[in-house]
Amino acid sequence: MLKITNLHASVEGTSILKGIDLEVKAGETHAIMGPNGSGKSTLAQVLAGHDDYEVDKGDISYLGKDLLELDVDERACEGIFLAFQYPVELPGVNNTYFLKSALNAQRKYRGETEIDAMEFMDLISDKIKLLNLKDSLLKRPVNEGFSGGEKKRNEIFQMAVLEPKLALLDETDSGLDIDALRVVAGGVNAMRNEHNATIIVTHYQRLLNYIVPDFVHVLVDGKIINSGDKTLALELEEKGYDKIIEESKG
Amino acid sequence: MKAINQFRNDFENTLNMSEGIIKNIRSKAFEKFISEKFPTRKDEYWKYSDPSSILKLDLNYNDSGILENGNYDIILSNGKIVKTTTKLKSGTIAEGLNNGSIPKNLLKNEKNPFLNLNNAFAINGCYLILDSEEKKDIKILNLISNDGRSQAIYPKLIIIAKENSDSTIFEEIKVKGTGTNFVNSVTDIIIENGANLEHIILDDFAKDTYNISNICVKQKKDSNFISHNFSVGKKLARRDYNIELVGTGANCDLYGLYFVEGNNHIDHHTTIEHKKEHCTSNEHYKGILSGKAVGVFNGRIHVHPKAQKTDAIQNNQNLLLTDDAIIHTKPELEIYADDVKCTHGATVGQLDDKALFYLRTRGLNQKSAQQLLMRAYVGEIIDHIGNRNIRSKIMDIVLNRLPKGD
Repeated sequence: MLKITNLHASVEGTSILKGIDLEVKAGETHAIMGPNGSGKSTLAQVLAGHDDYEVDKGDISYLGKDLLELDVDERACEGIFLAFQYPVELPGVNNTYFLKSALNAQRKYRGETEIDAMEFMDLISDKIKLLNLKDSLLKRPVNEGFSGGEKKRNEIFQMAVLEPKLALLDETDSGLDIDALRVVAGGVNAMRNEHNATIIVTHYQRLLNYIVPDFVHVLVDGKIINSGDKTLALELEEKGYDKIIEESKG
Repeated sequence: MKAINQFRNDFENTLNMSEGIIKNIRSKAFEKFISEKFPTRKDEYWKYSDPSSILKLDLNYNDSGILENGNYDIILSNGKIVKTTTKLKSGTIAEGLNNGSIPKNLLKNEKNPFLNLNNAFAINGCYLILDSEEKKDIKILNLISNDGRSQAIYPKLIIIAKENSDSTIFEEIKVKGTGTNFVNSVTDIIIENGANLEHIILDDFAKDTYNISNICVKQKKDSNFISHNFSVGKKLARRDYNIELVGTGANCDLYGLYFVEGNNHIDHHTTIEHKKEHCTSNEHYKGILSGKAVGVFNGRIHVHPKAQKTDAIQNNQNLLLTDDAIIHTKPELEIYADDVKCTHGATVGQLDDKALFYLRTRGLNQKSAQQLLMRAYVGEIIDHIGNRNIRSKIMDIVLNRLPKGD
């Protein structure tokens, strides 16, 4: 599904990603772990197409297409979804209207008919329950005045409605209490199937108890220094990043 | 100075169209207009909008506009009444003065030359009385039509909301045809004790049009004025609101939304005179500017010594879609009472990049994302309109008019 080869990226002349190789196949869940400033979030932003980040070198192939040739919205329409670490507040933009517009933009891109307000309400009713969202949040402006947990649940709710092929979860566990974490993880797990893939960017092992990854990669200073299965995450949690970095050097 | 001579010729040629009280008022107003200097950019009040550009025009008075029918209670065509309804207490200004509906001192000489010029051409015009204790919804069409002339038009409207009346007036301006228009319009509104008046003005795009518009409102005790002003830029577009709160407990809400693009210009000067205690005013104006357009917002709040317990809020926000668009925004607070609450704010900015990126990661293209954010921006003003039908009509029109950002 996704193949990243020797990816180098920088922001304002500062090199952040220094040669990433990563392959993600349909049905897989990958966790990218690493200390602060290692480039985890940059990787997610580059995949989503943020133009603050300059790709200096390397290739990204996604479903047979050159991802770097696609605009942000084209990537979304091709099935890439970024759940933001800090979801943006949109004053005056009604949450339901926003999501319906987004879904219809994607449907239009794929040559499908747009859906009306009634059909949309039917479509989202199950997903609202799945994410345990209050009805009132749907009527409010996007993320405005939402608690940290509500914002994250709203992200995963959008993901459930848009049904992406490749979901990028950027520090989705940050700012979540344990109950909210369970709800969010439950939402993500319910969507996992053999046709889609998930990349989880996270600091802590905690989220991975709930969303169990097939692969864990350790990102340090813009490079993946170690890859393994879910036990690598447990090892990291136990030993800390410094130890793993030392071991990989040795 | 060509236009000044033409104003004089027009005035002399049309004076015999009036008789009695109004003829006298017109003469005095014209004398006053001609005796004073025509304003230029050197006047603080006209610093960013040059009215002397009007003087270079070759203008002739014209009140023979096209006849128009439509779902309106009153239609003015080039300032002249072409439709009214017997359901309403209304008529020409001259009739109103003669039958005592309009107080004689309402058309007095003013400091503002455009008010005097409008009075000097008070040949047509319309008055409207909203009877006490009654509730009315009124639609007015203010039509400017041109068959290729260079014309001067003086629409005039006098609205008197009697005690405890409760009305909504939706005034639509439409511009048809081609040619040069100088439209010098005045709306005088008196709101008596305990009356509520919601006034919605929807402006229209127009080429080669110079529009000076004054809306003068006098509010008595416990009256309430809610104004919604949707204006668009022109060669020169200036709309002033002059609100006098002359009775205790009066409140006014001024909401405005202006769009200006290309090389056009738009200017709003609003003045709220807090003359008595316990009055409140709340003003929120938003603009979207693009191209090389110039916008001006000057919001003056004048709290007189007697106006204790005044509560005044003013806010002006501007969205610049291009690097070349310019906005001059200035709050002007003059406070002579010591127990008052006045706040003001002005912002100038662009669409939020973070918000645009967020929307695009959900599949909306750049243009749709911009439109969605602009829709939210204008919604904050439009949402205040009380009448649901008018609100949704205005929303549709405004969304259609959103600048394209080039």
